[in-house]
Amino acid sequence: MELSITGTNAITYPVMHVWDWRVAIYLFLGGLSGGLMTMSAINYLRPGRKGPMQSVCCWQIPVMAPILLSIGLFFLWLDLERKLHGYLFYMTFKPLSPMSWGAWIVLVIYPLMILYALAALPDEVKARIKNGFVKNVADAVAPHLSKLAKLNVVFGVLLSIYTGILLSTFVARPLWNSAILPLLFLASGMSTGAAVMIIIAKNKEVKLFFTKLDIWLIFFELLVLALMFYGHYTADAAHRAAIMPFFNSSHDTFPYFLSIITIGILLPLAIVLKFLEVTGKHTEEVSGFGLFLMNTSAIFVLIGGAIIRFALVYAGQLSGYGYNMM
Amino acid sequence: MPRYAMVIDQSRCIGCMACVVACKRENDVPPENYRTRVLEIVQGTYPTLTTEMRSELCNHCDNAPCVSICPTGASHHEEDGTVQIDRKKCVGCKACITSCPYNVRYINEEHGYADKCSFCQHRLREGKKPACVATCVGGSRIFGDLDDPESEVSKILRRVGHRVLKKEVGTGPNIYYINQYPKRA
Amino acid sequence: MAFSRRNFLKYAAMSAGGAVLADTPFISAEARAKAEGGNVKYVPTSCEMCFWKCGAVAKVVDGKVVKLEGNPFHPQSRGKLCARGQAGIGQLYDEDRLKHPMILDGPRGEGKYRKASWDEALTLVAEKMKAIAEKHGPEAIAMMSHGSPGDYFTNVLKAMGSRNIAFPSFAQCKGIRDVAWELTFGHKPGSSCERVDMENSRVIVLLGTHLGENMHNSQNQEFAEAVSRGAKIICVDPRYSTAASKSAFWLPIKPGTDTALLLAWINIVISEELYDKEYVEKYTVGFDEVKEAVAEYTPEWAAQETELPMRQIVEAVRELCRYAPNVVVHPGRHYSWYGNDTQRARAVAILNALLGTWGRKGGMWLPPKAKFASFNDGNPAYPEASKPPVIKGNFPFAGGEGVTQALRDTTINGKPYPIKAWLVAGTNLMKSLPDQRLTREAIDSLDFFVAIDLFPTETVMLADVILPECTYLERHDGLFKIKTREAGVAIRQPAVEPMYETKPAWWIGSELCKKLGLKEYAVKGDGMDAWEDRMRRQAEAWGVDFEQLSKHTGYVTIPDSEKPYITEDNQPVFGTFSEKIELYSEELEGEGFDPVPQYEPVEQPPKNMFRLIYGRSPVHTFSRTINTQWLWELHKENEVWLNKKEAERLGIKNGQYVVLENQDGIRCNRIKVKATERIRQDCVYMVHGFGHNAPRLSRANKSGADDQQLISKYIEDPITGGTGMRVNFVKIIKEA
Repeated sequence: MELSITGTNAITYPVMHVWDWRVAIYLFLGGLSGGLMTMSAINYLRPGRKGPMQSVCCWQIPVMAPILLSIGLFFLWLDLERKLHGYLFYMTFKPLSPMSWGAWIVLVIYPLMILYALAALPDEVKARIKNGFVKNVADAVAPHLSKLAKLNVVFGVLLSIYTGILLSTFVARPLWNSAILPLLFLASGMSTGAAVMIIIAKNKEVKLFFTKLDIWLIFFELLVLALMFYGHYTADAAHRAAIMPFFNSSHDTFPYFLSIITIGILLPLAIVLKFLEVTGKHTEEVSGFGLFLMNTSAIFVLIGGAIIRFALVYAGQLSGYGYNMM
Repeated sequence: MPRYAMVIDQSRCIGCMACVVACKRENDVPPENYRTRVLEIVQGTYPTLTTEMRSELCNHCDNAPCVSICPTGASHHEEDGTVQIDRKKCVGCKACITSCPYNVRYINEEHGYADKCSFCQHRLREGKKPACVATCVGGSRIFGDLDDPESEVSKILRRVGHRVLKKEVGTGPNIYYINQYPKRA
Repeated sequence: MAFSRRNFLKYAAMSAGGAVLADTPFISAEARAKAEGGNVKYVPTSCEMCFWKCGAVAKVVDGKVVKLEGNPFHPQSRGKLCARGQAGIGQLYDEDRLKHPMILDGPRGEGKYRKASWDEALTLVAEKMKAIAEKHGPEAIAMMSHGSPGDYFTNVLKAMGSRNIAFPSFAQCKGIRDVAWELTFGHKPGSSCERVDMENSRVIVLLGTHLGENMHNSQNQEFAEAVSRGAKIICVDPRYSTAASKSAFWLPIKPGTDTALLLAWINIVISEELYDKEYVEKYTVGFDEVKEAVAEYTPEWAAQETELPMRQIVEAVRELCRYAPNVVVHPGRHYSWYGNDTQRARAVAILNALLGTWGRKGGMWLPPKAKFASFNDGNPAYPEASKPPVIKGNFPFAGGEGVTQALRDTTINGKPYPIKAWLVAGTNLMKSLPDQRLTREAIDSLDFFVAIDLFPTETVMLADVILPECTYLERHDGLFKIKTREAGVAIRQPAVEPMYETKPAWWIGSELCKKLGLKEYAVKGDGMDAWEDRMRRQAEAWGVDFEQLSKHTGYVTIPDSEKPYITEDNQPVFGTFSEKIELYSEELEGEGFDPVPQYEPVEQPPKNMFRLIYGRSPVHTFSRTINTQWLWELHKENEVWLNKKEAERLGIKNGQYVVLENQDGIRCNRIKVKATERIRQDCVYMVHGFGHNAPRLSRANKSGADDQQLISKYIEDPITGGTGMRVNFVKIIKEA
């Protein structure tokens, strides 16, 4: 077949490149901050935890979550063609538009994140706060830490899952158009959240707990990824064509092929490392080598999570119906 | 209220691009952007070949993904069934561009809003046909009101077998294609 | 007020159709503007993005042209414009336009110019022309032109006493065809347009005629209509063109063998007695001679010669005859292919005659019946030519439009007398004449070269003086006689004032007359209204309402001029010696040519070389529009079409850049390969007009490859002087 098209817009043909790395970064950081909310709250709420009860783990984690989300949103804002019109998101609510939902959810999530972070601040950090208002708020919410933590578990999951919901609603982009995509982003978000917990936490018990948890999360993430490919493979021609870039090592699609190879190496390797860690013999403190293994595997998880977002954002835009499939 | 639709008689399209340029001029479409395009799809091997000429534009879908995805209501349905963009409301998030199965939207680089075929709404208001239809040299583009049983489009669609593009996506397009290939012998 | 019946019916249908969507009836440009109010103005005028001269209506808002539309009254446009017509505004507002007169400031070809006032530039031109005329005689000044500006400078040259005026539209295009049809029918197959009644045809034969790619507006409208009605298209073309894609029969003929196919078809038509016996009996002479002459051209022989399956050859012509006379073998347009082209055109004409298509529904309509009073505004007759012009070369049937390369040859060799100055108006000779080396040599040998044009093309940038013409949207031109099924008159008038320091060609020509001391040949009256006043007088002489023309409809019909088909009281008139259709041409015989076409094989490409064939893009007119913003955007560079198997054999990928080298070792600019099933294995194809070597054309410069550069060889048709240009062979060099 010989196809010639006269009069096409460069952003949609021959390859759609409407959304780029900025959106991928947002999706990654959005998922990660959701993961941090949930993971740090779980750590606080889980029964039988050792260590000081007023601490959620280390206080930096809840503070990081809104900052990372803000950086993510900043990149999303950078992607807007009319940056000064951003307020228009809040002039209306469109119940059918996941983007509209996303904009409003952020308004709910920010207070939750911030109050939670303030409530979890240890006294010595609070003492250093100069701003009286912030200090007062922090004091006022401190007794409600438990309730805030519970809400953060729920909304962290929502935030993580939301980053996948947006893409999954695009009927025109078969690669994304799957209800399993939000689950994948959820698993990835939680897993990256756990990874950051492992890196930041000082307490050995916390590190080990999240190492164990992350094994399950990565398993789940890989399972969902495999299911997504399998689901697409067994679906219509457009869906099947949509996953082909990942299994084709030709010049044009090599980055996607490489991304799957990388994920396929990094994540299982992370599992193995974590498994070695949790089954190994432990002294009171984590050994230097143990710390190295833990952090390495956590970094693998973070890289894997980022690759998933980048690969899916770009590959999704290759997919489509009709002549996009060719 | 009318319900506007376009019928494209592919056998009459001679690929002259008059529609493409007319549209660009009528709507001041910026350089390197287009609201309509022409595809020439040749199949077979020498010397037994067939050609499909197909012009494409916004399908003004009944179930338009661009309208449902739009977070601000900039992309919307009008009472005449057309999908239009309220430029003032657009934030340029590009979700509509990504969501369109027909890849017919673009960003106006100068002003940042998403844009696409409007069926020449301003001309319709003046009682004129869309610019591409008015100048279609082959008479391939036919425009009219589906709610009027006597309109040219209604008559043709009753009489002639037709199809829509990417029907499987389920968007309910309003650009109908007839005579995919010219009659032969 | 003279609306044609055709237009009236269309207009009635338009307003009676859907109440809401019927286009606002275009009763009058003025009335329409009034209805819309504001600063809107509608100006009916005539397009000149190509030479079909469609009626256009310019929408002007606040002194800017914002949109062009087809004039619904004009039979060449019928309310529509093609891509180029729509993009006319791009030509008007092109930043690369010539903006003021320029005088060469340095050696020719280096492109260094200084700005000059009109007075200075015209004085210089007049002085130089006078000096050359005094020294060598006025015939030493020659002119070449294409399009409307030609008329005004023809006037200047004739007034001076030179008849050395030639237009590439003859020897490089349709002149050959016109001569062949005049020899056969005593008429050209059309003046404003080919008189083919495709709207009603049952079968249409196209030989190398690329409708759809060759975008002559009304002709394509009728072609689409025919396709839609299920008319059978028989397309003879080595390339699967747009027209071929609409056809019932695509005959991918071996290039150069069309005459073999035509002669075999004539043979079949005669031997199977499929011709229109009554018609042939009544209107033709020389049937028996033709019968005898084509007897040897059997389908078997033709199949071998043309490399087409014999069955296809026979079936196609039988299909054609089945529906005769409501069929047409299209006369074609660009005819300078192989150097024996008059005879091919004759074969087409003879085939049409045998099928009785001339004057039949679906065939060729008869010329409209209208007499236009002669009008020269009281200018004195021109002086006799000082010496016989050289524009007919050694070609006994060269037409009045002249043979450009004969002028070029004389310029180079000075025989029979020297030509020392060229006026070139509106044609880019480097891209319209074959063998650019000779064109350059001729220009280099000139004492004086003045170019009148819109754009700084490669030819213009060789001139000593450059005079910037304004675009068609900024000027008046003569009233146009439009001869379609009916006769009519159309106008060109400015939609906006000329931009920069550009001037209409009529003004330039008129001022030049004055500077040359030939005031009696200048336009009467001074000022920029002078020409419009002349048009009024012309309209009056023709009995046409000028107000109607200029303010309202832009086109008026000459009443009762439409008599398209033969009836008992509408008999065709053939302007031949015998007053019949001359199947056998004694005129040709008298000059020693074959009175009935005979087949002569053409040279075939050597191994590993391809024949270079060329054609057109629907969005470009030759090399004239490549730089026009919207058209350039759509088609920025040309591609070389190469058969897919050949591409594979040569290891060339689709989209890869290559360079072509011709038999003379000339290499073109790099060009992208289109590896395609759509072309035979023995030839390559590219769209003509690209690959400008004109740095001041910011978009077009160096975009694509120039076919004309590779056409360094040409074979002259001995009958008319047409330059066969499909006789060049190229090889493909992979390193681009």
